[in-house]
Amino acid sequence: MKKIFLILLVILLDSVHAKELNVVVTYPYIKSIVAEIGGDKASVFSLANGEFDPHTIIPKPSFIAKLRNADLLIINGAQLEIGWLPQLLKQANNPKIQVGSGGLLDLSKHVDLIDVPSSVSRAQGDIHPDGNPHFYLDFNNIPKIAEAVSKKLSEIDPQNKSFFEKNGLDFLDKYNHKLKEWTERLKPLKGVRIIEYHRLYDYMIKRIGIELVSTIEPLPGIPPTSKHIESLEKILASSEVKMIWQDVYHSKDAAEFLSKKYYIRMIILPHDVEAVKGVNDIFSLFDEIVGRLTND
Amino acid sequence: MNRFNLFALILFFIPGMVMFGQTSSDNPFSQSKFIPDISFILDVSYLHRNLDNDEIKLVETPGLILSSSKETTHGQANTDMNSLSGFNFNYAELSVSSTVDPYFDLIGIFHLSAEGFDVEEGYFMTRNLPLGFQIKGGKFLSGIGRINEQHAHYWDFANMPLVYKTFFGPEGLNEVGAQINWITPTDFYLLIGGEVLKGDNENSFGTDGYQDAARNIKIKSSKAPNLYTGFIRTSIDVGNVTTLAGVSGAFGKSRLNNEFDSNNPDGHAIYANTRIWNANLTMKFIFESYRDVTLQFEYLNRITDGDLYIKDSTLNSQKEKIKKDQSGLYAQIVYKFNKNWRTGLRYDLLSNNDITRDDNILNLSNGLPQFSSMIEYNPTEFSRIRLEYSYDRTKYLEEERKVNNEILLQVNLTIGAHGAHSF
Repeated sequence: MKKIFLILLVILLDSVHAKELNVVVTYPYIKSIVAEIGGDKASVFSLANGEFDPHTIIPKPSFIAKLRNADLLIINGAQLEIGWLPQLLKQANNPKIQVGSGGLLDLSKHVDLIDVPSSVSRAQGDIHPDGNPHFYLDFNNIPKIAEAVSKKLSEIDPQNKSFFEKNGLDFLDKYNHKLKEWTERLKPLKGVRIIEYHRLYDYMIKRIGIELVSTIEPLPGIPPTSKHIESLEKILASSEVKMIWQDVYHSKDAAEFLSKKYYIRMIILPHDVEAVKGVNDIFSLFDEIVGRLTND
Repeated sequence: MNRFNLFALILFFIPGMVMFGQTSSDNPFSQSKFIPDISFILDVSYLHRNLDNDEIKLVETPGLILSSSKETTHGQANTDMNSLSGFNFNYAELSVSSTVDPYFDLIGIFHLSAEGFDVEEGYFMTRNLPLGFQIKGGKFLSGIGRINEQHAHYWDFANMPLVYKTFFGPEGLNEVGAQINWITPTDFYLLIGGEVLKGDNENSFGTDGYQDAARNIKIKSSKAPNLYTGFIRTSIDVGNVTTLAGVSGAFGKSRLNNEFDSNNPDGHAIYANTRIWNANLTMKFIFESYRDVTLQFEYLNRITDGDLYIKDSTLNSQKEKIKKDQSGLYAQIVYKFNKNWRTGLRYDLLSNNDITRDDNILNLSNGLPQFSSMIEYNPTEFSRIRLEYSYDRTKYLEEERKVNNEILLQVNLTIGAHGAHSF
């Protein structure tokens, strides 16, 4: 009798923890990392679509349903989601993932942020008081993110701790191999002078030693004015700038104009997984960025 | 505490908090890190219309909207926005919000206007109820309909849709009470909610009793909550189209006293049951980050059924049966064509206006339309400049239609914390 009871209990417990972990993330790049580490023990849903401006995602009501049923919410943080997520979180009625609870992972807390402003004023445009939030576009930051994800998944679902840890190590193995390759391929770009549209790639620029001359937007979040384009033209006419880095979601008009007039290569770079065709995970994201930058 | 004391208190409080902030490094008991999110919103406009400022106070929509001069004599504060030709100081909104403790969030929204200081909303929300439930309590905008919950700076046009203004007044259904809402554990969005409210909205419901001068008729004031609401919302995404649909209802008692208790021979009063139904549909077609089209439609129907008290030639009170069956709708399209610009059209209609008194059908005008169009420039998400034109065929002066054309330029600015947008 006791045995039967024990078997029943084991089956019951098993059925409880066999249910996969419900993870909701804000951006597709996070989804890719969670999928690597969570394997079949976690289902992942990304709220934002990778083609869109990560600052201004339209807060669809369907996101509320996803958040309501989440066991874990993983965000980019550093205020990248400030314009669309807080209200959804309030409406989701899910205590597991509220600020201050264990089911919310803020990735920005696990990397070193750059460009932290010493003083903030909105006269400086749409600035982020915590620093530049686009840290994941430096491939060197991905291992830190993966570690944080692995740790958090193990914390939420301790039954599968060893599974997540093993996946995490496997991922890092595979990733570090690619990391060396990407770093090597980008080395020749050291010292090259470039212009980018928005301060999206600053982490990578800093890492490789590229020189950022200016941005196409005069201030973060403010579209280019003719006056600002004129000042860019002055720079381009008087000194050598090799490339203009353009993202997929901003207007390409200014970059195309400058590129044609001053014979500078405009390179359209994906800023997230799914931003361009063929970029389906974190590996292909950096493969694509490195490929487009090195033109091979 | 009267309005001005409260206002003085708040003004006293803010510099106090800022001062704390400056001295936090020296003060071991500093609590400056706990300063709530504070924001301040200003809304001003310049308006030009063909009706002059004296006429606009007298026009009304028979059976639906009293003239603003009558409303003032009934003691209703005229808080309508963009009400006069020339410059309008619509409101200055101060909002404060933060998390109380692991269990509650607290939100306060205050309107400072030329008339005084109003607590627009002041409510708490639970943070950790299980199973997808949330409770809200205090003074808040009811969850019925699509736009009732939205503050004026979220509206796509400068003025509230006509049917909302008609049934709920310029502040919408803003009540004291409690709300419970439940997000179902489904894969798609489904929200079910209900409210128990005080129910003293002066346009459709009412809690204050009254009696006639001779004290023959006496209607008691409401003891219990006077208004109940229920609402359901659901949403699906198909490709790049997001659809949100909802139905809701409000059920309460109307105690409306229009100088019935005075010696005014035209004084009258209503004691009736009122129910309001709403159906709404929003569809957003998302093309790119900064380009989308939104279609929005709402229909409201109000049925008031009960007693009408009037006075005969000798000022004796008479009782009649009254039944009102009134409805209205609006349909709008808004096109956001780049990061900074949006344009839109709205069609308002007061479609139905049937009032029956003791089986006599009153011959009131119905099918009253208003057309609005707007274009707005948003330099950033903290500032907006909007140009709006409207053509209004709903206003009457002594049974003669007064067509109103108006054009307005509205400026809306926000500083401090900026709340994330809802859908």
